Amino acid sequence: MNNFPVIKGSSYVLAFTPDMIMHSGTTQTTEKVVNPDSEYLRELPKHYRTYEEVVSYIPNQVYIGNATYDDLGNTPFPFYDKKWENAKSDGAFGSIVDEEEFYGTMHISDVFELVLFEPEFAKRVKEKLEKRKFFTEAQLEKLIADKSTASREELERLVNEEHAEGLYINLTELVGVIKRAHDVDVNLSAHVMLENLVAKASNVIALIELVKKNNIKPEDIDYVIDCCEEACGDMNQRGGGNFAKASAETAGYTNATGSDIRGFCAGPAHAMIHAASLVHSGTFKNVVVSGGGCTAKLGMNGKDHVKKGLPVLEDCVASFAILVSENDGIHPVIRTDIVGSHKIGTGSAPQMVITALVGEPLTRAGLKFTDIDKYAPELQNPDITKPAGAGDVPEANYKMIAALAVMKKEIERSQIADFVKKHGMTGWAPTQGHIPSGVPYLGHLIKECLDKKTKRAMIVGKGSLFLGRLTNLFDGVSFIVEANEGSGSVEHDIESSNETVFKAKGTSTKGINVAYALEGSEHGSQEARLALKIAASKGIDTVLCDGADAHSQMEKLLGSGEAQAAVTMHYPFPIGVSTVGKVITPAKGKPMYIANTTGTSDTDRVAALVKNAIAGIIAAKADGVERPTVGIANIDGARACAKILRTLKDNGYDIEFADSARADGGVEMRGNDLLMGSCDVMVMDALTGNLMMKLFSSYTTGGQYESVGYGYGPGIGEGYDKLIMIVSRASGAPVVAGAVEYAANLIANDWKAIAKAEYAAAHKAGLDALLSEISSAKKADVEEEAEVVAPPKEVCTEAIAGIEVMDLEDAVKTLWKAGVYAESGMGCTGPIIQIAPARLEQSMDILRKAGYIE
Amino acid sequence: MAILKDKYVVVIGDRDGVPGPAIEECAKTAGANIAYSSTECFV
Amino acid sequence: MDLENQKRVLNISEEHGAENVVILLGAAEAEASGLAAETVTAGDPTFAGPLTGVQLGLTVYHICEDEVKSEVDPSVYEEQVGMMEMVMDVDSIHEEMENIRKEYCKYLG
Repeated sequence: MNNFPVIKGSSYVLAFTPDMIMHSGTTQTTEKVVNPDSEYLRELPKHYRTYEEVVSYIPNQVYIGNATYDDLGNTPFPFYDKKWENAKSDGAFGSIVDEEEFYGTMHISDVFELVLFEPEFAKRVKEKLEKRKFFTEAQLEKLIADKSTASREELERLVNEEHAEGLYINLTELVGVIKRAHDVDVNLSAHVMLENLVAKASNVIALIELVKKNNIKPEDIDYVIDCCEEACGDMNQRGGGNFAKASAETAGYTNATGSDIRGFCAGPAHAMIHAASLVHSGTFKNVVVSGGGCTAKLGMNGKDHVKKGLPVLEDCVASFAILVSENDGIHPVIRTDIVGSHKIGTGSAPQMVITALVGEPLTRAGLKFTDIDKYAPELQNPDITKPAGAGDVPEANYKMIAALAVMKKEIERSQIADFVKKHGMTGWAPTQGHIPSGVPYLGHLIKECLDKKTKRAMIVGKGSLFLGRLTNLFDGVSFIVEANEGSGSVEHDIESSNETVFKAKGTSTKGINVAYALEGSEHGSQEARLALKIAASKGIDTVLCDGADAHSQMEKLLGSGEAQAAVTMHYPFPIGVSTVGKVITPAKGKPMYIANTTGTSDTDRVAALVKNAIAGIIAAKADGVERPTVGIANIDGARACAKILRTLKDNGYDIEFADSARADGGVEMRGNDLLMGSCDVMVMDALTGNLMMKLFSSYTTGGQYESVGYGYGPGIGEGYDKLIMIVSRASGAPVVAGAVEYAANLIANDWKAIAKAEYAAAHKAGLDALLSEISSAKKADVEEEAEVVAPPKEVCTEAIAGIEVMDLEDAVKTLWKAGVYAESGMGCTGPIIQIAPARLEQSMDILRKAGYIE
Repeated sequence: MAILKDKYVVVIGDRDGVPGPAIEECAKTAGANIAYSSTECFV
Repeated sequence: MDLENQKRVLNISEEHGAENVVILLGAAEAEASGLAAETVTAGDPTFAGPLTGVQLGLTVYHICEDEVKSEVDPSVYEEQVGMMEMVMDVDSIHEEMENIRKEYCKYLG
């Protein structure tokens, strides 16, 4: 089963806040500074909609899931003068609350006693919110508590004298205030606190609706990521955060922590990728991505709307929440392996941007533009943007994607309009910055995937980083969502979609079966399946052993003879077994065998090199090289190894020595020879060999992914008759497939018989005697040490301290040599030598002379 | 007479049209001096 | 047009002389192009920014118009603007820009 995370649920919320248009929308607050008496400010309130009009507005019904984007697309443009029949404020995905309910939510979201309501208003709001069933009784009680209310006179005084921000209804009726949270710090001014409480409160409703509409327990959520465009903190940490945790607290997510991710309008797409990665990695099981809305963008294009006699359509604060969870075999998956990103070096030309976000990830995944059923770029409602001269943003994005497809010759220029119609959607999202950025589609997408209407969609987030004046860069990321292959239950998914047997394809079926134990690969099980599919195309049957018991499955297959060889990432070979990797050398693409070991060939370095050389010859011959040439990497012990191999050759073991390609030649191979592949078998020690294997396997990719060669090779040792091929956790599909192919060759050429013959020939040429010469030379050294024997035991009650712990045993032996019995030990302050009292002075003298103490 | 050559060009790009830096690249090839470049955002 | 951008336009035309300044636009739509062009020629029509009531009459083009396109290295143009040419309504942008230029531009050759 692939373990891609799923999008398990979503919620979408709108809060109708007409009075905040005038008091908090930046178009209006700027106008009040520049032209306080302007006609626009006088005209504006005449263009406000009613709550009922906002609820029945079709784009809003699409946002909360009561209508589809096709319903909107089938509505003749413009939309503001049409109504959705049966419109409700409660929708499949969320709800539309009115201004009073929203002020109430801001009050409940305030933990710093900043919000005060007029008492009668407070009572009314409490009654309204009780019906919504968002909040606990205790939360609702706070609304009418003494500390939470103030008389109208006091509210007016706070606005006029204490820099508080007023909360208004019906244009001028003051029903509450938000006080400043600090007298000096502008970051905690009433204005900023209002913006932040709006973001928090709208986020809170989305979080509550998410668990309510999707039957999720709030306490099951582990992590919340907020991706709005506000910043909270004081003057010492202006963007300290953390909207996520603050909102989740009010929403009752008691087991969650969280953090904020910012990326302008691309924030939600970035956050979705973070959430998917947190779940995919197993770090958290249930991660929510959510974002509250902003007051600043209310009435942003109001001047154009008023000028053209339209209602002010930017009159709602919007929010959303998405739950990303472990794969349940049901909900659509996020393909964490197909992510597009606008890189720093990408540039800002539209075709570069669209190439980076759409073209490049598709190419990498082997998909065509038309393989994506629906693209979800920014989904702004054209009813808002068109009258403002900003055009139809989603449509422009679809045209750009289509134009790129034309440039890539995947569709004809004449097909652009069809492409836009088929793969696009009519935008329905309010222009609340980050809110329209791809994510409004996720609620509809979950439904379409479950209904099997949509198979694959791409979500594209774009962000105007340059507005922050820290960079001129643009930004964006994209990801692909696919319908879940599992069709109903987890069990079903494991049984049917978990392909483990790969049958050889084509005419050259070799009748060989290889097991691949996947335990700890860095590239996952889909990569493993790809490897085995490649092997199948080369005529080799394979079985994938996955899961915690992968190794025991593998041993079982080997034991029963069902598999003749196994490929695995680690294996405990007995001492005496070498491994022979096979790589492609870069100079001329010539294969080379690296004779080394992932285990222990011999405890003596030179003997290990000799044994690796013989194993290398066996592997090369069994792989089809008739007379492999042998070179020894120019490392410590190379000369001694070469001497033994020459003696073996002189005694009749037929070894073909290679000659270095460097001017002075010789059997010792230099670095250049490695790159050129000057020999067939390159003899190395374990550590150097391992370094070289990794280098040769990944030099084309930069390291993390081993793309070239045949892996670390078979374990070969005298009498060892299992064929175990080693690959690494970084080995990609081509290397794993290479290892399977290498194993198949060894089996086809009867490697066991070749090994037996080679070892016999080496023994006949005196291998044993030559190796024992090395070990007897060593033994002599050891014996000299062993000559020192302890004098007769004495009772040791005196202690000598001050000797380095590493020298302690040598110091004891020095005393023994002088005929003094001593024992090593550990005293209260460090290592000591214990000695009989009568020997103390003599011992100190001996140790002082030998330099152990001062 | 050329429109752009040796003139002081002020670029007002659009995030959903042609962004400022892209226009800059074009104007430079016509021999213009870029006096200022910015990108506007309507959404 | 953004207030900061208006301020910069005003300062630059004072510094270099209005006859030496050319405004290049990249707006997505004819209407937005026209508004920006009007701002730098006849003054800010929204009465919000520093160009309110300032009739600079600057030379102004949209980057997709043939007059400026023909002066740009074709390969650079293709790379930077080629795709947007397919997306934008070039004809109506040109028409809108022509109208503004005819009415308000002071420095057309």
